[in-house]
Amino acid sequence: MFLNKLRNLMIAALCCCVVFTTVGPVALAQKKTAPVEETPPPLNEQFKFGEVDLEVLEQSDLLDLRFKRDGLVLADKAANDYLSGIGRSLIPKGLAIEKVSWRFRMLRDPQPNAFALPNGSIYVTTGLMTLIDNESQLAAIIAHELTHVMRRHTYLQNRSNRKKFLTMNIMSAVGSYAPLSMVGAVITIVTTVAPLIMFATMFGYSRDLEREADLKGIDLMVSAEYPPEELIQVMKLLDKDIEGENVRLFYNDHPSLDERIKYLSSYLGARAGRVTTQMELHRERKAYFQNVLPVMRHDIQLSINAGRFRSAVYLAQRLVDFRPDSENLFWLAEAYRTLGPRAPQLSDRELTNSAKKDASKKRQKRTIEEEERDLLATAAGKENWQQHQQKAEELYLRALNAENPLPASHRGLAMLYEKLGRANDAVVEYQKYIDLSPSSTDRERILRRIEGLRRN
Amino acid sequence: MDLTQLLPVLKLRPLIFALTTLLLTTVASQSIQAQFLHPKLQSKETTIRNVVVLPAKVNVVRDSMKGPEGMAAESEELSARVEKVISEVLLKQKQVTTLPAPQVTTTASDAQKQYGVADFQTKFDELLPKIMKKRSDVKKARFSMGDEVLELNLEKHADAIIFIRGEGKKLTGGKTAFTLLVGGVPAYLRLQIGIVDARNGDVLLYTDPILAGDPTTAVERLRKTLEKGFKKLPAVRAK
Repeated sequence: MFLNKLRNLMIAALCCCVVFTTVGPVALAQKKTAPVEETPPPLNEQFKFGEVDLEVLEQSDLLDLRFKRDGLVLADKAANDYLSGIGRSLIPKGLAIEKVSWRFRMLRDPQPNAFALPNGSIYVTTGLMTLIDNESQLAAIIAHELTHVMRRHTYLQNRSNRKKFLTMNIMSAVGSYAPLSMVGAVITIVTTVAPLIMFATMFGYSRDLEREADLKGIDLMVSAEYPPEELIQVMKLLDKDIEGENVRLFYNDHPSLDERIKYLSSYLGARAGRVTTQMELHRERKAYFQNVLPVMRHDIQLSINAGRFRSAVYLAQRLVDFRPDSENLFWLAEAYRTLGPRAPQLSDRELTNSAKKDASKKRQKRTIEEEERDLLATAAGKENWQQHQQKAEELYLRALNAENPLPASHRGLAMLYEKLGRANDAVVEYQKYIDLSPSSTDRERILRRIEGLRRN
Repeated sequence: MDLTQLLPVLKLRPLIFALTTLLLTTVASQSIQAQFLHPKLQSKETTIRNVVVLPAKVNVVRDSMKGPEGMAAESEELSARVEKVISEVLLKQKQVTTLPAPQVTTTASDAQKQYGVADFQTKFDELLPKIMKKRSDVKKARFSMGDEVLELNLEKHADAIIFIRGEGKKLTGGKTAFTLLVGGVPAYLRLQIGIVDARNGDVLLYTDPILAGDPTTAVERLRKTLEKGFKKLPAVRAK
């Protein structure tokens, strides 16, 4: 009897030890604010490849191939060369890293994002390329991602996660065979709660690595003579929640914006004195837009395809502000036509966390057509649609009257008229489009539409 | 609360485990039968004779005691195998012919064609969660990918396009033993297959067969699972 009690107590004590030794140091590490001056060197020279790391490397190489094969990589040579040029200018001269081959690519995805694979592949989405204002901001993003590769963050995180998963599994095994007693109940509770804490520490570790990438990224920017304060600007841009989809979770793998701005400002310290003048930034913005204009237009199409209509309007408006030519006017018209009865901007109430969660649930349930039908049943939805169809029509007509008009403007106008029930006008515009673009990929689709409209 | 009150619940653990297993088995076997047909297909107003199978996206992971690990190469292999077996099953059981999918190379001139297929695959990925929320609404003709489907410019006599998604996991020896002792999700493969009208984009059939066991080695079981998965699809000569 005494031995049994002793055994149970020992199991309980063992459980507590495992939890506190594994969770404790990491959990505490999250709270401490390391002095920003003590950042490690850009390269993790102590890192030695193990079998597990080589597996991760192999998976990364295969992922590269898959992105390309699946048509997710943007095949725009000029834009990719531009991206690559910026990326290479940030890599310290003469730096060679074992099993890293630098590649910079654009991913066809309207969601603003960037990530690095440990093999040296850096991906920036078209959504992010379109959202940012200038080359320095792009450099800030790449510098952050380069640090993840140089400091071997993916490998380190993978190693850390594996240890935590193993601990979690051992805990559940212990928990499932806990003795049926008061001590057993304690063990069960401890082993049930421990995996949740363990998950939290995974995110905590990830946040530490993100912080390191932010700080080392600044060093890389300064070395390449990019104004480092643009990293803060790009973070503010990323915080712009046009679609109301940034739902705050209890744990996040990136530090909060306020926290990032705080430690970055502190790290920049005296160096923040080199503030780029507005005129210089304006010039840089113009050059950046010029370089990535085709990418931006491509991204507006992707945004519309993905139902990110508010982003499409926002981004297309930026293009028209930059240069109101026929093609840019066409894209803004497309954005307004597809925005339909939605409001162009979300209200403050719609941007609250609970409203965003509700909207996310609705997005999972309703199709785009159902969403539009529901909105059109409301007075606000009808008013929005009235305004947007007028704007779209006006913009299509402006695009057609501008220099080098785009034939696709006729198609857009036809689609608008079709939706408004103006069948004859729609047929005329569709026909003009077909006549001007006889070999377009959507010829069959348009011919069927003409046929359908004539039949009705 | 006195923790000893929990003891009776703990004593019921083997019974709860047995009941959960029974419930999971029942649900899984029901899912295998779950196929949802568009009314036009049900009423035989539309007959599928020729299909185009778009590249499958099946992902499997190796679940070990140290967490999940990617299996990119095996996933590619499995994706190709699922495509092949689906074509064979449709031909043998339903006399449906598979036409060649749009040929996409990685040359710059073919980029637009490649984007077209990729964007359509993405569009299906966006529709899929909505279908899964209420699969039975396929029977109400609620889901469509629109006439943009015509922009894929498939062969003239293609009646439908097949989209295949899947996820599964394979367990390592250690994890298998752990699952047996402690419990957990065993090795499986869950497929989500949508058949879409090649002329107007309507979702004609949705099925999500589940295969229990190691997905990377179960070739014959995969065939049988798919045969069951397409059981309700009308055969061509039934017209």
